[in-house]
Amino acid sequence: MDPNLVQFKKGVLELCVLALLSQADSYGYDIASRLADAIDMGEGTIYPLMRRMQKDGMVTTYLVESASGPPRKYYRLTASGRDSLNAQKAAWTDFTRSVAAVLEQHQEKTP
Amino acid sequence: MNERQMFLRRLKAGLKGMPRSTVADIVADYDSHFEAGQAAGRSEAEVAFRLGDPTRLARELQAEAGLRRWEDERSMAAALGVIVGVLGLAALDLFIVLPLLIAAVASVFSFFVAGLAVCLSGSVMLPFALITNLPGFAGDRLQAGLLSLGLASGGASLIAFCILFTIGLINVLARYGRAHYRLIAPQPSV
Repeated sequence: MDPNLVQFKKGVLELCVLALLSQADSYGYDIASRLADAIDMGEGTIYPLMRRMQKDGMVTTYLVESASGPPRKYYRLTASGRDSLNAQKAAWTDFTRSVAAVLEQHQEKTP
Repeated sequence: MNERQMFLRRLKAGLKGMPRSTVADIVADYDSHFEAGQAAGRSEAEVAFRLGDPTRLARELQAEAGLRRWEDERSMAAALGVIVGVLGLAALDLFIVLPLLIAAVASVFSFFVAGLAVCLSGSVMLPFALITNLPGFAGDRLQAGLLSLGLASGGASLIAFCILFTIGLINVLARYGRAHYRLIAPQPSV
């Protein structure tokens, strides 16, 4: 993959995780596999991110017994995580809208 | 040995040097990832492939831990942690920076030692210069005193310059290291 694209995707990973967790609490494998499918990322990248988000107080964890094997660690969005999601979402929407506008202008000029 | 054990063992080996509880947390996360992957009908080999190379993963985690510590506290130990962490990454695929980095660290270190020596000798000479004159010095006591004072402060400013340069170097290293993660996401700078 193009290295620029990798850096680009890493930048929005946190936003994607926040958005996923705002719909429902989830566990590491589930988040990783859903994001890996959606934005084509290595699955291992999710755990250091979750640890940091936990340290920053954006998510909390709790254990849920699973039918097979050891209990699963679920992540839940905190109030500050929700604030961060709203702020990042607004910034992302603004940014992509501006980029789209520039690209459109570019297209109009080049026939 | 199966894929899962092999992955976890290499990960754990790569994390050596980090606090034991941190290593245990990290390994537990990846262990349960295998568990959940199998529950979802994937083979261990497939899960391991999607996670990436455990040795590289461990180096990136180590580097990131060092960089974060440097951001929390500007200490000598934290600076060393950044250097070691980025060197660990560099040994994998950033061969070009190695000689540059070693040269920079060596020259800063020698300037630092020189500054320390000049500063120390100036400070030691100062009381002698003021009380008697310096042995074998042609000028008077005032000149000897000013000379010692000049040496001491010149040495001190050389040391200060070295420290500033080192802080700058570490910050550049931190940015460079982060730009070369492949398996983990860097902490976005706030």
